[in-house]
Amino acid sequence: MGRLGRVLLVRGLTLLGVLVAVLLILVVSLGATGLSDKILQAVIGEELRGLRQTLAQTIRDPEELERVLLEKRGQLMEFYGLNVPWYHRLPATMLRVLTLDLGYARTIRSFQGSSRVVDIVLERLPLTLIMVTSALAITAAIGLAVGVRLATRVGSRLDRAASYISAASYATPTWWLGIILILTLSFQLRVFPFGGLHSIPPPTEPLIRTLDLLWHAVLPIITLVLASLGSWTYVVRTMVLNVAQEDFVLVARAKGLPEGHVMRKHILRAAAPPILTSLILGLAGSMGGAILTETVFNWPGMGRLYYDAIMTLDEGLIIALTYLFTLIYVAARFLLEVLYVIVDPRVSY
Amino acid sequence: MAPVRSGLRVFLGTGSGRAGSLLFLILASVSAYVLLTYPLDFGLKSWSDPAVWADNPKAAPPGWLSLLSPNDYPPHRVFEYRQPTHTRTVETGGVIHTYLAEFHHTSDRFPTLLTITLQDLAYHDGPPRIFISLTRPDGHRLVVAALVPPGPLPGEEPPIHRYVETPMRLRVGGEDVAALLSSFFAREYGASIPPKEILSRGVEEALFGQPAGPQGPLFRSLKGAYSVRVEMLAPDPRDRLTSVKIVVGGSSYGSLGTDSLGRDIGVGLLFGFPVALFLGLVTSTLATAIGSTLGMIGGLLGGRVDSAIQRASDIAANVPLLPLLIYLTFALQPLLPRLWTVVLILVAFGWPGLAITVRSMLLQIRSGQLIEAAVALGASKRRIMVKHVFPQIAPFILGQMIFFAPSAILAEAGLSFLGLGDPSIPTWGQILESGFRSGAVYLGFWWWVLPPGLLIILTAMAFVLVALGLEPVINPRLRRIS
Repeated sequence: MGRLGRVLLVRGLTLLGVLVAVLLILVVSLGATGLSDKILQAVIGEELRGLRQTLAQTIRDPEELERVLLEKRGQLMEFYGLNVPWYHRLPATMLRVLTLDLGYARTIRSFQGSSRVVDIVLERLPLTLIMVTSALAITAAIGLAVGVRLATRVGSRLDRAASYISAASYATPTWWLGIILILTLSFQLRVFPFGGLHSIPPPTEPLIRTLDLLWHAVLPIITLVLASLGSWTYVVRTMVLNVAQEDFVLVARAKGLPEGHVMRKHILRAAAPPILTSLILGLAGSMGGAILTETVFNWPGMGRLYYDAIMTLDEGLIIALTYLFTLIYVAARFLLEVLYVIVDPRVSY
Repeated sequence: MAPVRSGLRVFLGTGSGRAGSLLFLILASVSAYVLLTYPLDFGLKSWSDPAVWADNPKAAPPGWLSLLSPNDYPPHRVFEYRQPTHTRTVETGGVIHTYLAEFHHTSDRFPTLLTITLQDLAYHDGPPRIFISLTRPDGHRLVVAALVPPGPLPGEEPPIHRYVETPMRLRVGGEDVAALLSSFFAREYGASIPPKEILSRGVEEALFGQPAGPQGPLFRSLKGAYSVRVEMLAPDPRDRLTSVKIVVGGSSYGSLGTDSLGRDIGVGLLFGFPVALFLGLVTSTLATAIGSTLGMIGGLLGGRVDSAIQRASDIAANVPLLPLLIYLTFALQPLLPRLWTVVLILVAFGWPGLAITVRSMLLQIRSGQLIEAAVALGASKRRIMVKHVFPQIAPFILGQMIFFAPSAILAEAGLSFLGLGDPSIPTWGQILESGFRSGAVYLGFWWWVLPPGLLIILTAMAFVLVALGLEPVINPRLRRIS
């Protein structure tokens, strides 16, 4: 346990380093480009506008009003730290974001109307996870079945075709594939909706509502599966092949064990950890890729939210989401390390 | 040089090596052609300038469709003149220059526009008068526009030049023409169609159509021979128009159609070739140079330098690239041209993978007998590095470099698709973005979204195939399989 703990501690510290590094990049780039000052000034301007309206009810003298507002502006500047250079605010900002105090979005609201970033994210995250994980599960299942079969027929025409398909799948942008699927299946054949989460108007009956949601999810999921299936199958094939060339497999065969048994008990068990690795890495990676896919399908998950944040120039939301994407990625990698140690007893650093 | 030559033979012996080289050759020659023929400020001066594309049909499918079904896709017709079609002398001393464009309209669909562009008029004795008329298959001739160029300014000496810097572009339309057409149809066809309705249907339908009767649409296409005539009544025989352009807009255009601003998509896509190649090659070269150098330094020196490099690459390798790339492109846009931001970031986070592999390869090589022998013979560290270590890992580094290039191209395309592209440099991703944002996908404008994506794939494939072909060169044990 001591050894395992130390291994995980080292990995954990590295990943924490990643988190801090990304956060540092975020905060420094915001400060150095003057974006941070601009955001805060916008926030103060907003507050002062509101204040002017309330104060105008009580203070009649316009000069007096201006004086009070100026004083208030000074207080707000101090409160938000605008009176000091950005690098003085840096530690506080980092600490705030690190503790998941993500602030407020400027124009984007949650479905319930809240502008707290946490509220918005909590609504969007499940939608992304549903899409990404179900696509991954389908890809994994098909990829495993096909990849193992390919590994038993190395050099065959099928195998060579698979290698070209895998190259093409590496070269194809997922989001473009989504566009083409919309163009053919939604526009030409009218089989699937163009995008979005529900039909318009959304059905109210719960069962139909769920079915409607599933119907809208089909095309994005097909896109994700098609985009990653090629390379994933090839990964499985290569890893199974690597193990199949090991001596212990030869021994098992020499003992006369049936081929199916050798594959299941000897090859696949040894090939499982690296396959699992790429699977989870793929999951973590497709979180980022969801930014593009969800934009194409107008799927209101985390990725679409990120796109909207860029389009509405909502800096606060952009920082919060970039940080969250990193956090999810890092958490997935850490989970992977733990799983890896559990699944493969040979792992020792 | 012998190992290089035999490596090349192995490389070209593989199917993917040959296919990749061929693709690469095509990409490179198209890029060279573009670099030689396009101005470098093509993005700002041409692509982003709507005036350049004003005479093109908007969101029109490729021109070759008009060969397949001329009825659905009437071709786009452009008539350009440097000389008058004919010139007639008038008794009063002046001349009439006539520019005549004749064409057959055979489609049920109407032409999309009629424009006349005049450039560089020179006159001597008072401004000439210019009349533009359309003769229809029903034998009627309509004078659709008349204009008199501005007269001489005080002190201006003949020959007086007009429309030199900004050509005079006339689009036939507007209330006057609608009123003219309305009274024309009332007089000749006995149909009362108010000018307002003609304007709302588009003047082109009235120009090239006839009243369709009480049912259905207002106009139906009038097929037959048309001619557009530009006549210049010049008081002085020396008066000249340098160029006259008459455009009858069709419903199909060019090799790959147009976007909703009338921009020729084929022309824009061509410009993307050198950009994509440049991006892929520069990014992968830089990332590979940094990665392999750091990997070699770490592997050779060991100790504190090594572990510092290792920690750094560990962190950089674990960063989720796309979100950070998007964020930094957004945040750094006032400081850096966006294309360079993409290069910078991909290099900054692209090197660690290679650094880690090169380091571990180096450790393996260092403990090998070859290096042991070299050390025993008293070779210096630098000599061992250059003479013995580097040649062993060089092919591997080359392969990694080529394999890395597509990721830069794909990343730029993705960023452009999110609207974070470099507006001064049109790329395939940007063309896709403008198509997606103006609803090309939902309107079925396939010519706008299909070709750019295919080009992205083709370019990325070229690199991947070359890298695949290099594999047996790098790893000789694989040679028997392929």
